[in-house]
Amino acid sequence: MGRSEDSNSEKQAKLKEISERREFLLGGLGLMGGAAAGSIGIIQSAGASSNLPPNVPAWTKTLGTGVVTNPYGQPSPFEADVKRRTVDWLTADRLASISFTPLGDIKGIITPSAVVFERYHSGLPQIDPNQHRLMIHGMVKRPLILSMDDLMRFPSTSMIRFLECSANGGMEWRGAQMDRVQFTHGMLACCEWTGVLLSTLLEEVGVSRDASWVLAEGADGSHLSRSIPMEKALDDALVVFAQNGEALRPEQGYPVRLINPGWEGNTCVKWLRRLEVGDRPWYQREETSKYTDLMPDGRAREFSFVQECNSVITSPSPEKPLRGKGKYWIEGLAWSGRGKIKKVDVSLDGGISFRPARITSLVLPRALTRFGIEFDWDGSPALLQSRAVDETGYVQPTFRQLRDVRGSSSIYHKNAIHTWKLMPDGGVANVQLS
Amino acid sequence: MSSFHRWAGFLLLVFFSTGAVGAEDRTGYYGYGSPATKAEIAGWDIDIRPDGTGLPAGSGSVEDGEMLYEEKCAECHGSFGEGVGRFPILAGGEGTLTDARPTKTVGSFWAHTSTLWDYIRRTMPFMMPESLGDDEVYALTAYVLYLNDLVEEEFVLSYTNFTSVELPNIGNFIPDPRPDTHNTRCMEKCKDPGDIAIISSVLPAKASLVNKWQLEVPAEVLPGQVIYNQYCSICHKSGLGGAPILGDSKDWKNRAAAGMPHMKQRARNGFAGEKGAMPPKGGFINLSDEAVDEAVDFMVGANQ
Repeated sequence: MGRSEDSNSEKQAKLKEISERREFLLGGLGLMGGAAAGSIGIIQSAGASSNLPPNVPAWTKTLGTGVVTNPYGQPSPFEADVKRRTVDWLTADRLASISFTPLGDIKGIITPSAVVFERYHSGLPQIDPNQHRLMIHGMVKRPLILSMDDLMRFPSTSMIRFLECSANGGMEWRGAQMDRVQFTHGMLACCEWTGVLLSTLLEEVGVSRDASWVLAEGADGSHLSRSIPMEKALDDALVVFAQNGEALRPEQGYPVRLINPGWEGNTCVKWLRRLEVGDRPWYQREETSKYTDLMPDGRAREFSFVQECNSVITSPSPEKPLRGKGKYWIEGLAWSGRGKIKKVDVSLDGGISFRPARITSLVLPRALTRFGIEFDWDGSPALLQSRAVDETGYVQPTFRQLRDVRGSSSIYHKNAIHTWKLMPDGGVANVQLS
Repeated sequence: MSSFHRWAGFLLLVFFSTGAVGAEDRTGYYGYGSPATKAEIAGWDIDIRPDGTGLPAGSGSVEDGEMLYEEKCAECHGSFGEGVGRFPILAGGEGTLTDARPTKTVGSFWAHTSTLWDYIRRTMPFMMPESLGDDEVYALTAYVLYLNDLVEEEFVLSYTNFTSVELPNIGNFIPDPRPDTHNTRCMEKCKDPGDIAIISSVLPAKASLVNKWQLEVPAEVLPGQVIYNQYCSICHKSGLGGAPILGDSKDWKNRAAAGMPHMKQRARNGFAGEKGAMPPKGGFINLSDEAVDEAVDFMVGANQ
C-alpha cells in the first residue's frame, strides 16, 4: 500500500511538472510571435554554421510566426540591401530629385512596385482619393469632372510596359561616372499598368475635329505639365490607377497617372488632375527649358518623346561581381520604345565579336525583355557588352556613334552600348571605350 | 462560304465603311462624372501659351519684381539669378550653348516668355507653390527678364504688352529627327583590337563586392532622422532662409536655451527670428505634431 501511495505522488509530481513545462512553452510561443511581428532583432546571423548539414537548422526545429503577422507582406529582412538608392550630388534637395531601381537584384521583367525608381519635382504628395478629381476640358463638347469612382467605372485594360526617365544614364555622357548598374541604368522599371485608355475618355468628352494636342497636368506642388500629341493620346496612352495588381503606389502617382508607353517618363504625368485639349503645344517648362536635347551646334531638339532601343548587362555588374573562375550565366535587360526586342547580342571583347544571347522572358512591345548567355570564365580580364535590336531593325548604337551626332551636352536619351570591365579579382568596373 | 454569309458580310462592310466616314459620335456614351462648370475650370486652368492665351489681366514692374525676388526667390536662385548650390541659374550664359559646359538660363536658352510666367505661377516659390498673385507673377517675370538684360529697369510687363518680349533663343529649337544613328548587327571583326582603349572608368564601390546576404542588417534609423532627411534638411542642411544648420552647436545652443517645449512649439507653429523665419512645420502642414517633435528631438540631439 505504502509503495503504491509513494508511486502515486511521484506520478502526480511528474504530471504537474509536464503541465508547467507546457504552460511555459505556450507562453514562450506567444512572446515569440510578438517579438517577430515588431522587429528583425531575433533573426540569427546567416553565418551560423550550426544550421548547416548534418545539423538540423534552428528554424526547422521551432515554429514560425502565424498568419497575418504581416497583413501587408514585406520582403525577408535578409533582402534589406535591395532598395532604391539616390545620389545626393545630382540635385539640390530630395524634393526635386530622383532615386534608382536596384536593377542588379530584380528578376524577370516585372519591377516590384516598392522599388520602382522615384522622380519628384515638388516632393511626394499624399492625395485623398475621395477628394481627387480628373478634369477634362478645352476643345471638347462636354467638359467633364471625374471622381476616382467615375473613372474606374469605364472599361479598363492592362498592359506590361517599361517606364524610363529620359535622363537615364545621362550622367555618363562625358565619361563613366557611376559605380553601380543601379545608377547607370536604374531610372527604369517595368510594371503591369491597369487603367482606362485615354482614347475612351476623349471619345466620352467629344474632342473637336481641329484638336491636335492634349495637355496633361499633375496635382502635386509642381503641377507638372506636358503637351501630348493627339496621335499618341488616341493610340495607346493609358490613364492608370493600378500597378502590378494593386492601387498605384503614391510614389508612382496615386491615385491616377498617365502612361505613354515607350515615351520618356516625364510625359507619364503622375497624380493626374487635368487634361486640356487644344490645337497647339503649350511649351511648358518641362518641354522647353528641360527635356529638350541640346546639340553641338547650339540648337535643341524639342518633343523628343521616344525612348530608343537600349540594353544593359545586370549581372555581372559592379554590384554583382564574379567569385572565381568557372561557368556563369550572364544576364541583362533590353527594351525599346518603338516595339518588341528582336535580338540581343553579347560581346566579351569590347565589341570586336558578338554572340547571340538567349531571350529568357516574355517578349512584349515596349516592355523590359530579359536575355542571358553562358560564360565560362578563365579568370582573365574581359570587356562585356550587350547590344539590342528592336523589331524596326534599329540596332543599339555605340557611344562613339551617339556622340558623333549629339555631342555630350544633350543630357537625355543616352542609349549607347554599355561596357563593363571584368577584372581578374571578379570585380566589375564601369568603363567607356574609345 | 454560303451566299447568305457572303451577302451578310458585304452588308457589314458597307455599314462599317459608311460608319467610319461619318465617325460615329460617342460623346457622353457612358455618362459618368459631372459636367465641368466654367468656375471649376477657371480654378484649375492655369496654363499660359506663347501667344498669351490664358493670361489674366494685370501688370507688374521690374522695380516691384526686385523687392519680391529678394524676398521670395534669391535664397535659392541668388540675388543676380546666379543660383545657390545646385538650384537653377536664371540669368547669364549667353553664347555658351556650344561650349563644353553650357549654361542654360532664361536668357541663354529658354524659348518663350509665357513659359516663365506660367512656371512662376504654377510652382514658385519652391516651398509655397501657386501662392503668388497675378500682379506678383507679372512683376517677377519682368524682373527675371531684367536680370537677363532683356528689358530696361523702368519696364512694366502687362497683359497688353506681354507678347512684345521675345526671348533670344526662340529660333533654335528643332523637331526630333531620331533615329539618328545607324549601327549594324555586326558579329565578327567589328573593330580593330588595336582601336580599343579605355577612355574613362569607375571602380565598383567596396560595399558592392560583399555578398548582400552577408551585410549587416541596418541599425534602426531614428524616426526623427527620417523626418529630418525628408523635410527639414532642405533648409537646416544649408542654412536656407536663416535656418540653424545641423551641427552648428553654437547657434543651436542659444535657441535651446529657451527649453525643448518652446522649441517644439516654434517648429509646430512657425516663428520669425533675427536671422530668418520658419513657416509652421517648415511648410509641410500635413506633418503630424508628433512627427515635428521627433525631428526637433533628433536635431537638438545631433548638436550635443
